[in-house]
Amino acid sequence: MAIDMMDRLKILAEGAKYDVSCASSGSFRRNKDGIGNAASCGICHSWTSDGRCVSLLKILMTNSCIYDCAYCVNRRSNDVQRVMLTPAEVAELTIGFYRRNYIEGLFLSTGVVRSPDYTMELLIEAVRALRQEYRFNGYIHLKLVPGADPLLVQEAGLLADRVSINLELPTREGLALLAPDKSRDAVVGPMRQVNKLIVVNREERQVSRQVPRFAPAGQSTQMIVGATSETDRQIVTLSEELYRRFELKRVYYSAFIPVISDSRLPVWPASPLRREHRLYQADWLLRYYGFQAHELLDDEIPNLDTDLDPKTGWALRHRELFPVEINRADYEVLLRIPGIGVRSAKRIVRARRQGHLGLDDLALLGVVMKRACYFITARGRSAGACNLESGQLRSRLLGGKRKQSDSQLELPLSQPQTSEEIVSLVSGEL
Amino acid sequence: MGGIYRYDGSFAGLLTLLARLLPDRILPDAIGVDPPQQQGLFTEVTTVETDQLLVEQFWEELSARLAPSCLKLVRLAFLADRAERELMICRYLLLAWETGKGIGNMLAHPHVAPLWKLSQQVGREAHRYLGFVRFQEVEGGFYYAGIAPDHRILSLIAPHFAARFRDQQWVIHDNTHGEGIIHDRHRRDWLILPMDVHAEPDLTPAEERFQALWRSYFSTLAIAERENLRLQQSKVPLKVRPWLVEFA
Repeated sequence: MAIDMMDRLKILAEGAKYDVSCASSGSFRRNKDGIGNAASCGICHSWTSDGRCVSLLKILMTNSCIYDCAYCVNRRSNDVQRVMLTPAEVAELTIGFYRRNYIEGLFLSTGVVRSPDYTMELLIEAVRALRQEYRFNGYIHLKLVPGADPLLVQEAGLLADRVSINLELPTREGLALLAPDKSRDAVVGPMRQVNKLIVVNREERQVSRQVPRFAPAGQSTQMIVGATSETDRQIVTLSEELYRRFELKRVYYSAFIPVISDSRLPVWPASPLRREHRLYQADWLLRYYGFQAHELLDDEIPNLDTDLDPKTGWALRHRELFPVEINRADYEVLLRIPGIGVRSAKRIVRARRQGHLGLDDLALLGVVMKRACYFITARGRSAGACNLESGQLRSRLLGGKRKQSDSQLELPLSQPQTSEEIVSLVSGEL
Repeated sequence: MGGIYRYDGSFAGLLTLLARLLPDRILPDAIGVDPPQQQGLFTEVTTVETDQLLVEQFWEELSARLAPSCLKLVRLAFLADRAERELMICRYLLLAWETGKGIGNMLAHPHVAPLWKLSQQVGREAHRYLGFVRFQEVEGGFYYAGIAPDHRILSLIAPHFAARFRDQQWVIHDNTHGEGIIHDRHRRDWLILPMDVHAEPDLTPAEERFQALWRSYFSTLAIAERENLRLQQSKVPLKVRPWLVEFA
């Protein structure tokens, strides 16, 4: 293989960049006479022109693939140059970048070559070289290959900080349509196994600290949103299940952007980035704010409001619970007020021990008053008009917000063109 | 009371000064390192010499009166590159002398909120620089990184890099404040010294190769359809870009 390292790196980064997972947090590794450590807070090292952070060297081992998934750039039938890195080259690159503090660690994914087991072994070899030969203690995120042997999955978890396997599409039908070679069970199987191993490992480590950690930063997954016709309700309910049953650390959502045209794929969906953004907000509400999926979405409202964030939307449907007196409300109740987040709620709880808080104090504590003012009282006084009728309140909350957000979360191509033009633009055949 | 005070600019110096002022509940009109520009006719400038013994006693007293998180707040605020920081600390400690440990919760108090905000700025900048440092391998076997932070964050980031790159000889040079951390891998130790660099560092061939690889890797990462330059600029401000390999 005589292709220059520079070109291979470019091609393999190109293939990996659609994986959104970027977290380098949640693991803590000390540097024991080698190089690197993992900081539990996670560290971003740079940001690309699409505003996403660069924290890990995100790269494919190879972009050859035996599968033919409709949404993927690396699909078998796509005419791109196929290259690969050897495990030793992956390790060398990672260390070279790490020593210069470009990256926080490695995110290693791959196309599937020969068989899932063979591919998984390649990944493990690269990570083992890093951990054992270079004594690298930095963060490693390893992709599991669907259908790989459970023993290999176990080995992967012992070497990596986080493992992940992508659900790809929210529904079984969607997967059958767009990724005919992957089955839902081949994805959920390893996910369940990893979860069991993590639980067992946690118990063992309570008995003895000598037991090596298994995937200390847990597991995550990713799904593509907007490539099939599922509703937000299906997606958010699925995420809730994943968090509850498999204790996933993160579910990532990737707005579908057609990189290749295919008759099975939809033409450009309407404001996909806005939808992705709202899904992430709902996801945060599930994980940190004590919300449940059925509170945010139900039969009547199957999709999230694109104009308002899901928490404000929920508050508007439950006007009977507001206004809330911030000097008396429980932490859990504070969390549900629009404009108050985890940090500001905690600060309120701390600060009010030293005396009653007034409305002026709240902005100092980090409360977003332009949203919160309609939902709170302080010492019995309210700042905004708490008794506005819901429709009026909605338009007030939207007022002034439209201007900036419209242009940002809309894709430049999504507005005026007809569908034919778009397909040809994306596939480059003008 | 009031008055204008001068100290040597070190944290110990400020503590000496505060140890003298606090028992008498004196709030100065100004505290500075350099002699004040304008001087009133009747105000006298008092210069306080650092007294190591007094500092130790005072630090013990501070530790007894304040929660660890409040001590950390004071330390972070001291590192801020902001002229009023000493006065803000002084006001904060005067309040602490009155209220005791309860000050840790008085987040909205007019003498607490500004100091707290300042310390957050310093802490955030220090965290950002854990990512924004770019080492260059220089002929002679060590790694050099230049940065230009707003605040004096070197002492906050040094332990992180010392743990992470303990087998490397490295230097992080703060160009704004003319200081640098030097890490010695044999003694496993680091120290902060005044520093000035005149010549361009002499890069090794491996360094140039990795820089080229990194630039080309970075340029492929963005998804063109999702371009959002405003978001990028809020995360990577223009002032840090000259120091980053991928932007320079």
